[in-house]
Amino acid sequence: MSNRRFQNRCWWFAPLLLIWSAGCSRQTPTQTSQLSPKPDTEQPVVLKKMPAGQEFSGLLKDYSKLKPNPNLGNNALTFASTDEQKNLHKYIAMIVDPVQVYLASDADESKLPDKARGIGARYFHKALTDAVSSAFPMVDQAGPLVLRLRSAIIGIDVGREIPSAEKTSSPDDALERAVNIGKVGVEMELVDSESGQQIAAMVDRENLGAGAEIGAVHFGRQEKYAAAREAFNGWSHRVRDFLDSAHELSGDDAKKADSSYRPYSDETAQPITAPSK
Amino acid sequence: MSALIKIMSKTTLAFVLAVFLGSTIARAAEKEISTFPAYVDSDLCARLMLGPITSKRVACSQQTHKEGSQPVLVRLSNDMVLDVNKQKMIEKFVGQLVEVSGELKVKDGELKLQTVKPIEAGSIPAGDPSRKLLDVRTYRAPGSPKMYEKIRHELAMMPYISEFDFISFAMVGDNVILSGWTVRLTNRSDAENIVKNIEGVNAVVNNIEALPLGSFDMRIRALARAALQTNLSRYFWGSGSDIKIIVKNGDVILLGAVTNSGDKDIANVRINQLPGVFHVFNLLRVAGSEQKG
Repeated sequence: MSNRRFQNRCWWFAPLLLIWSAGCSRQTPTQTSQLSPKPDTEQPVVLKKMPAGQEFSGLLKDYSKLKPNPNLGNNALTFASTDEQKNLHKYIAMIVDPVQVYLASDADESKLPDKARGIGARYFHKALTDAVSSAFPMVDQAGPLVLRLRSAIIGIDVGREIPSAEKTSSPDDALERAVNIGKVGVEMELVDSESGQQIAAMVDRENLGAGAEIGAVHFGRQEKYAAAREAFNGWSHRVRDFLDSAHELSGDDAKKADSSYRPYSDETAQPITAPSK
Repeated sequence: MSALIKIMSKTTLAFVLAVFLGSTIARAAEKEISTFPAYVDSDLCARLMLGPITSKRVACSQQTHKEGSQPVLVRLSNDMVLDVNKQKMIEKFVGQLVEVSGELKVKDGELKLQTVKPIEAGSIPAGDPSRKLLDVRTYRAPGSPKMYEKIRHELAMMPYISEFDFISFAMVGDNVILSGWTVRLTNRSDAENIVKNIEGVNAVVNNIEALPLGSFDMRIRALARAALQTNLSRYFWGSGSDIKIIVKNGDVILLGAVTNSGDKDIANVRINQLPGVFHVFNLLRVAGSEQKG
């Protein structure tokens, strides 16, 4: 084979080898969760406005059963159903709906850039999913034993104009105005995914976003917006704390769970029918 | 120009060779083949009858396999339950000892089978760790009763255990074998972490299987609970129940305890009537009769 012919063959053979080796070195995916959480959606977020003079946004199906929850400080109202057939213990999986956004009632919506509208909602959706999925694995279909988590961030406001010097270099990432989350709170409810019955709910007015703003589309990657990330993560963890406390075994149930649990072993497990000879 | 092409082709070739060698080495490391003796069990008995291979266990393996429980391997040296990719290769050996070879994935509890051959218990040399499961005396090695009770209590108190989860365990001296089924993947790791942190526990083998949450099985779970709650409501309380309902690909395993054999039969009949159920394995224990068997 001449040198030139060899070189020509090398050129087309090299990419083939690369593709082949890349394919071979790919690892078999391992199961890390029973069903992966839905990816963060890029669907446009519909903005709603907090009704003036109202305490609640109107997202929840029912606010009447909410009571102050001392375990979460002074700023959270919660409800967990004690119905024997429909309570948190009766569900084993969850769907997390896209997070809704309610602007502060005096916010000037026209000043909020289009690309700023869903930023917080998308981040919070992911933070919520991460926080609750180990307790309630994510599924992508409504059905029996599946809860639907509906949530909203309430009180988003238009923030300061961002000076050019502060803007990120990427035009896609830069925002003209920041999103102010200084007075934001969270509302969420868990409903039966089939009947829509409210199983648990929470209105959290804990002011975790004080002094925090979102000044870039990809604020999750930028150090100067760490306070906003911490706020969203904080609200998510408070939702999880509420679920954990509502799911905790009560005194009597704990005793029953303890007394009824006996592991099976070679001494106790019986074949279903008489062993064949 | 030709010199440049020459240099570039050499560089490309060197790069491709490096990638090729690297991937081949990585592949070899990934696909390390293990050979070991194992017991061919049914999934059901492997996860419940933790302990030595006795005639009772062999009977359980064969009977439950015949009734639809899929075949699995139990590694003799450490009681690890392994799902296999080619069940046909092992199903004719259910209830027997075999030597298997294949690509072992310990974390996933899987073996990509290559070869299977039947062996006799006598072919495993005395003193070999693989003899452990064949010797009833090993399982009578005194484990601490206090430690047993501590493990039992901690597992009973896990917060996210539902009617659709069952975690069992056995102690072999100061080693613990965890087994069972759960609908929440995190229960698997949580149980292991809880047990690992109990004082005196040496090692933990985790055979807990995470069940899929497909809509077909979810519907069976809901129907099964509703059916049992209607007819056997006294076994269901606030946030839990004395009866555990394990659903896997249309098969239902009933575990836990009832107070009389009539209730055990009612449970069996009710679950068998449900649409979509392929087979019911009724392993409910009748309280007070545990020692008789």
